[in-house]
Amino acid sequence: MNDSVFQRRIIIGAGLCVVAFALVGIRLVDVTLFGSANQGSILAQTVEPRADLTDRNGELLARDLPVKDLYARADAPFDFAEGARALAAATGADQKRLLKGLIAKQHSRKPYVLVARRITPDQEAAVMALGLPGLEFEPSVKRYYPDGRGAAQLIGVTDPDNNGVSGLEMGLQDRVHRAAASRGGSGKVVTSIDMRVQYILAHEVEEARRKFSARAGGGIVMDVNSGEVLGLVSLPDFDPNARKLLPGDSTRNIVAQDRYELGSIFKIFTFAQGFDEHTIRMDEVFKIGQGFKIGKHTIHEAERMPETLPVRDILAESSNIGTAQIALRAGGTRQRAFLTRLGLLAPMSSELPETARPLYPSNWGAIETATVGFGQGISVSPLSFVTAAASIVNGGRRITPTFVRQDGVDRRGEQVVRPETSRQMRELLRYVVTNGTGRNAEAPGYEVGGKTGSAQVPGPNGRYIPHALRTSFCAVFPAHEPRYIVFVMLDQPHGIKETGGFALAGHTAAPMAGKVIARIAPLLGVPNDAPPVKLADGSS
Amino acid sequence: MIRVLNLFCVAVMGFTILGLYHVSEQTRVARKELASVTRQIADERSHISVLETEWQHVASPSRVQQLAEARLGMSNTASAQLSSFDLLPRRGAAEEALNKTPLRNANAIVTASAPPYDPDSGM
Repeated sequence: MNDSVFQRRIIIGAGLCVVAFALVGIRLVDVTLFGSANQGSILAQTVEPRADLTDRNGELLARDLPVKDLYARADAPFDFAEGARALAAATGADQKRLLKGLIAKQHSRKPYVLVARRITPDQEAAVMALGLPGLEFEPSVKRYYPDGRGAAQLIGVTDPDNNGVSGLEMGLQDRVHRAAASRGGSGKVVTSIDMRVQYILAHEVEEARRKFSARAGGGIVMDVNSGEVLGLVSLPDFDPNARKLLPGDSTRNIVAQDRYELGSIFKIFTFAQGFDEHTIRMDEVFKIGQGFKIGKHTIHEAERMPETLPVRDILAESSNIGTAQIALRAGGTRQRAFLTRLGLLAPMSSELPETARPLYPSNWGAIETATVGFGQGISVSPLSFVTAAASIVNGGRRITPTFVRQDGVDRRGEQVVRPETSRQMRELLRYVVTNGTGRNAEAPGYEVGGKTGSAQVPGPNGRYIPHALRTSFCAVFPAHEPRYIVFVMLDQPHGIKETGGFALAGHTAAPMAGKVIARIAPLLGVPNDAPPVKLADGSS
Repeated sequence: MIRVLNLFCVAVMGFTILGLYHVSEQTRVARKELASVTRQIADERSHISVLETEWQHVASPSRVQQLAEARLGMSNTASAQLSSFDLLPRRGAAEEALNKTPLRNANAIVTASAPPYDPDSGM
């Protein structure tokens, strides 16, 4: 061999070394700068953290708890069939899905197969005991609700990827994510809810629902000056931690999502309009009789009434005929404009995503004006109703509901009824409790005002179901200068021996509202210093 | 002279290398400890988070009411039984206030009273 041969071999050898080092260098750049495509990435699938949700006093409502998701690598050397069977037995995962996933991802660039989400420590230990290769536990989070059913529909839930899908979890999603990113991840979103009030409301509604064998029940407590919702209950409810519904459970928020003909409780607006537009006077007396004809229709009373009634007793005794006459004095056009001004003819807007579009007559003639006057032929959500009623009693200024703590800020907007009208309505509502159908709502010392509503329930064919009622009570306290409004309702309650077989609101909903007020008022710092009054039934 | 200077430079370089190695090693150990402590803090925070959630669960109003009713024989307080500190008579003026001021909160009949606790009931 001559020198040139050696020289050529050295050059070839050197060239091979350069190529080899170049390959190593390229790979290094690939791995360090661009990551490895072949390794797959579980991190890309991790969930976005959510901040805590708390009530207005800092009590925890919802929190992300650390859990683990289990993944299996399909490129790891193990028997897929046997591995899938063992993993399914240890975690409760679907064996067929696992096997199918492992086979499908065997040669994939991302060979990870999700075995089970949010496994418990026991399941983790069982999986570790299998000794299978290629298993990875990925840290994840589970949204947990310490109060369980306590405020299920109101707080809502998240999906498996931790995105809010209902309630405040959905409505406050942006705030929750922003708070999670702030203060080193320890930020929180403070809601307007007071868990003490929420519990009492839920407890009393559940008790009443059970006592009167009602299909459903609901309630709302709102600050009339700030619009803050302190409690909102919808029964039946569900366990937000269970991720599956038990028989009888419901995820529907009936007080925000459903619309109802609320019946006589709606008379509040007819009277407010009458006083505001000076079409009625407090000292006026109306002829009632046994029927009131409008064209071919005749309006009747639910109960026997005297021949004549003063204005205040029309509301106190809940006379349909008297209220219809008051509504007709305003006329359909002005009635519609008044209800629009109160926000009752448009869906309610708040942080709660669940809302309902109201139903009202397309042809607003005389009979429609009369029936809307006493709460028939118009359907609104209870939350819309409560908001409008709060605007009537808070000095007559528009209020919008909010589910975020406002720290006592007066959020009242423009004037919707005159302050004098508001005062007259508060006086009337108090009279309903001292002398009318709302006597059972009295909570000694707290000067409760309110109005009962016993509405007929329409069936699937549009006709009213015989003897079926939807009863409600809207209370304000203290009546001379209201701070809070309490609304409660029962869907199709049944009369019991204690109520003489009656299921009207005065027997079912009114006592429930009184009990709620008696329990929440001390917690809310409302003094029980109102002088005792003699109720019309003789009690004090 | 140059040779001595060279030797000195080489020695300095050697010591510098050793020093750098020492510092680098200390940094590596410190980083490891830091990572371990950070992990520990994260674990503790996680535990605290779980404990706080558990506390919230066990101290929920529904549970407290159940226990208060079952174990202590308590029941809801009638509004007439409640008062405020502001309404209590001041020290010194107590006698006069109690004798001459009508009880402002005696405005209702107490309809419900808590059943007395019975230690023999086994609850």
